[in-house]
Amino acid sequence: MFRSAVLPILLLGGVVLAQAGPVKKAFPWKYDQYDFPNGLRLVTVPTDFPNVVALYIVVAAGSRNEVEPGKSGFAHLFEHMMFRGTEKYPPERYEAVLKQAGAASNAYTTDDRTVYHTTFSKEDFEQILAMEADRFQNLKYTETVFRTEALAVLGEYNKNSQFPIRKIFEVLRDTAFEVHPYKHTTMGFLEDIEDMPNEYDYSLKFFDRWYRPEYTTIVVVGDVRPAAVRALVGKYWGGWEHGSYRARIPQEPPQKEPRSKHIDWPSPTLPWLAVAFKGAAYSDTEPDQVTLDIIGSLGFSENSDLYKKLMIKEQKVDVFGVDNPDRVDPQLFTVIARVKKEDDVAYVRDQILAQCREFREKPVDAGKLEAVKRHLRYSFALSLDNSEAIASTLAAYIGLRRTPETINNLYALYDKVTPEDIQRIARKYFQENRRTIVTLSGGDSK
Amino acid sequence: MTGRILAAGLMMTAMAAAAPRFVEMPGDSPLVTFRVVFLTGAASDPAGKPGLASLTAAMLAEGGTRKLTYEEILERMFPMATSVHYQVDKEMTTFSAVTHVDNLDEFYRIFRDMLLDPGWRETDLRRLRDQQINFLRVSLRGANDEELGKEVLYQAIYQDHPYGHHNAGTVSGLKRITLDDLKAFYGNNYTQANLVFGIAGGYSPEFLARVKKDFAKLPEGKRSEVKRPAPKKIEGIHVRMIEKNTRSVAYSIGFPIEVTRGHPDYIPLLVASTYFGHHRSSGGRLFQRMRQLRGLNYGDYSYIEYFPRGMFQFEPDPNLARPQQIFQIWIRPVEPPTAHFALRLAMYELDKLVREGIPEEDFERTRSFLSKYVNILTKTKDAELGYAIDSLWYGIPDYNSYLKQGLAKLTREDVNRAIRKHLRTDDLWIVVVAKGCKELKRKFLSGEPSPMKYNSPKPKEILEEDKIVERWKIPFREDGFEIIPVEKVFE
Repeated sequence: MFRSAVLPILLLGGVVLAQAGPVKKAFPWKYDQYDFPNGLRLVTVPTDFPNVVALYIVVAAGSRNEVEPGKSGFAHLFEHMMFRGTEKYPPERYEAVLKQAGAASNAYTTDDRTVYHTTFSKEDFEQILAMEADRFQNLKYTETVFRTEALAVLGEYNKNSQFPIRKIFEVLRDTAFEVHPYKHTTMGFLEDIEDMPNEYDYSLKFFDRWYRPEYTTIVVVGDVRPAAVRALVGKYWGGWEHGSYRARIPQEPPQKEPRSKHIDWPSPTLPWLAVAFKGAAYSDTEPDQVTLDIIGSLGFSENSDLYKKLMIKEQKVDVFGVDNPDRVDPQLFTVIARVKKEDDVAYVRDQILAQCREFREKPVDAGKLEAVKRHLRYSFALSLDNSEAIASTLAAYIGLRRTPETINNLYALYDKVTPEDIQRIARKYFQENRRTIVTLSGGDSK
Repeated sequence: MTGRILAAGLMMTAMAAAAPRFVEMPGDSPLVTFRVVFLTGAASDPAGKPGLASLTAAMLAEGGTRKLTYEEILERMFPMATSVHYQVDKEMTTFSAVTHVDNLDEFYRIFRDMLLDPGWRETDLRRLRDQQINFLRVSLRGANDEELGKEVLYQAIYQDHPYGHHNAGTVSGLKRITLDDLKAFYGNNYTQANLVFGIAGGYSPEFLARVKKDFAKLPEGKRSEVKRPAPKKIEGIHVRMIEKNTRSVAYSIGFPIEVTRGHPDYIPLLVASTYFGHHRSSGGRLFQRMRQLRGLNYGDYSYIEYFPRGMFQFEPDPNLARPQQIFQIWIRPVEPPTAHFALRLAMYELDKLVREGIPEEDFERTRSFLSKYVNILTKTKDAELGYAIDSLWYGIPDYNSYLKQGLAKLTREDVNRAIRKHLRTDDLWIVVVAKGCKELKRKFLSGEPSPMKYNSPKPKEILEEDKIVERWKIPFREDGFEIIPVEKVFE
């Protein structure tokens, strides 16, 4: 229930086909957006994919909201607690309803949001909607159950701890950030996870603060009619009470010096390298983040010169990619490589840094920039081939701006990026005092 | 949906004929989905060259064509946002891709050459061989204890059998493979007789005619052999322990079953396994008893078909069809102090399943679940094509109707009979990935109690059950243990 840390940049979004003639909107479906008096927002997208409905409930609270010390990982733990039932629907009954409906149901937590998602046949819509409304309003669990669930989270940490890439991001964030909650991953620090069983009271507080209509958006995509959906959501969710809590998220002070860390991995692995710069926040009005996305693609994607050099010609790396996640506050722009020989780590690092310098010094080729824009358009069109995929993509943007319209704004911004913008943004972000480098190695895998 | 071509009469003999098969699903979508399957795979790797099928597929999907280098292919595919994925299993090798109709011609020209006119460059071989070796050594052995356990379980069950090595091969086998080996494997196996071509979406009849003409250029060949020997009989409980410096203890438990899709007991056994441990679902019995009530780990599931990469995905990939499958239990990593208890609990629950079968209420619920859930399995065109190709291979109607019709007439007694017939607790393999295997082995053999300590009060029912579980006898054999250092696996 925890999203993979490294998403290829180009899976993060795209635009729909701008064909000849008037430019089409990036989000091609008609949608119905409605605000209930209690602050709850509903976005309904009827599609022509038959029978299936995808229900995504987006709560604008993730690990960014864990502001108190010692409480890292709580948003994610809370996601687990949401499956622990209510008086009306104890867990066994909840499971039974989902089973009867043949539903695929799960949840995930990330920096800025927690998403509960269920995909099922349209005839079960009302029942599942009512059941979800019940748990968001009437969740009830005992301390005993809480303590047991906290152990399942430790189990999740254990299964994740096998992957060096998880550790790299854990250390990268801890090194790069000083006070912002992005300092910790969504999973949280191990010592906080081990202490979770003792935090029952805080868990109730977390629910009371964040599981409120003003922080929640319901996304319904599939074989549905908006008017009927609106009526049912009003019926089951209309009585949910508005909250009063506002969090103050500590803002990160400017970094003053380049930083680096090395991780000794306990078992044999190929060495890993992460070169990160403090990046930009998500924006559908300012060009910084979209330009960094394009830089990521031009400089470090499968089609970049550096990928071809390091991966195909010189064959010095066997994993190479970039991560530039869309987040509420500025996150990290990270280039990741797995290097075949320890001796080459410094060389690969220098190649990445040289590429960053080149973006600062030289305007990029206009033809290559156009290819990236075309790629973005098609990658978006290809990704939305069923109702669940549409809902899942929407949920990511709803978590940032609460409306599908942000996608249209965003891709209008992508289209406007020029070689000059790229040079300007590279100069702003690729600076030594924004940089953190983390390396990892262990054993000898040869 | 238009164009379901799987007419019932065709199926039983469809895969036996030596002509290429086309699974066509034309429609109005702006996308075109390709799923091209060759009926060959790791089971056809020649002696001494495990990994040949996989490396051949990699050379096609991630190497150059005669006309274009791999870099040139990446450059052309990039603006279309398309790439070709490959999957190699024992009996099937699959190449899949989705493209927008705007780019269909341009994409298809490259895709066709990748499959029909590969470049066989030494430099591609070097890169892809490294990649495959690093996958085995670093990604699987070094960084994924759960998948490692599952794959070692298959290796243990299929010793001295064509399924006995990982689909990606072995390190030493990969090192021996030459360009000539690859060309020979390609020539013998990439034939019209082995081809099943799946295509869906907004393509024209003219386009399809062109595809058919192009792929008729493959040599005719004859269908690759799929008769496989029975796996070795397991006598008693065998334990393969992988010694590794790791935080927690991972388990995989299993034994071969004769049931595959099309077998009269497939649907009953699927109901049983779904009830017992549906993949990544909190509704399964094992999940409830191990994680939900006791907090032992992150999840516990069971399977009657091969399901690789389960830690990364919720639905299985299609085109992993096999004439033999195993029943498998996957226990996600547990904390070392509770490791012995967790294994006992899993075996206790399996025993309960075998003795008591499925409760009436759960039978009805699971039946209802599966008859709707099958729609979710085939929610994308890619999956729909994949399932259609598998159905052709197994000789069953399309999977949705096969399952729905079978479930409709199923009784609880059918399920319980299938459980009694095919599931067991005595002759099986247990794979353990852990640090300190020697001590764990000592504990297992000693039969000493492994009491649970909880961080919170538990209901009486659980505590009483724990009294039984902490002493649950697993009939280990002194000579049934192997401890293998992780460095030796897949070499």
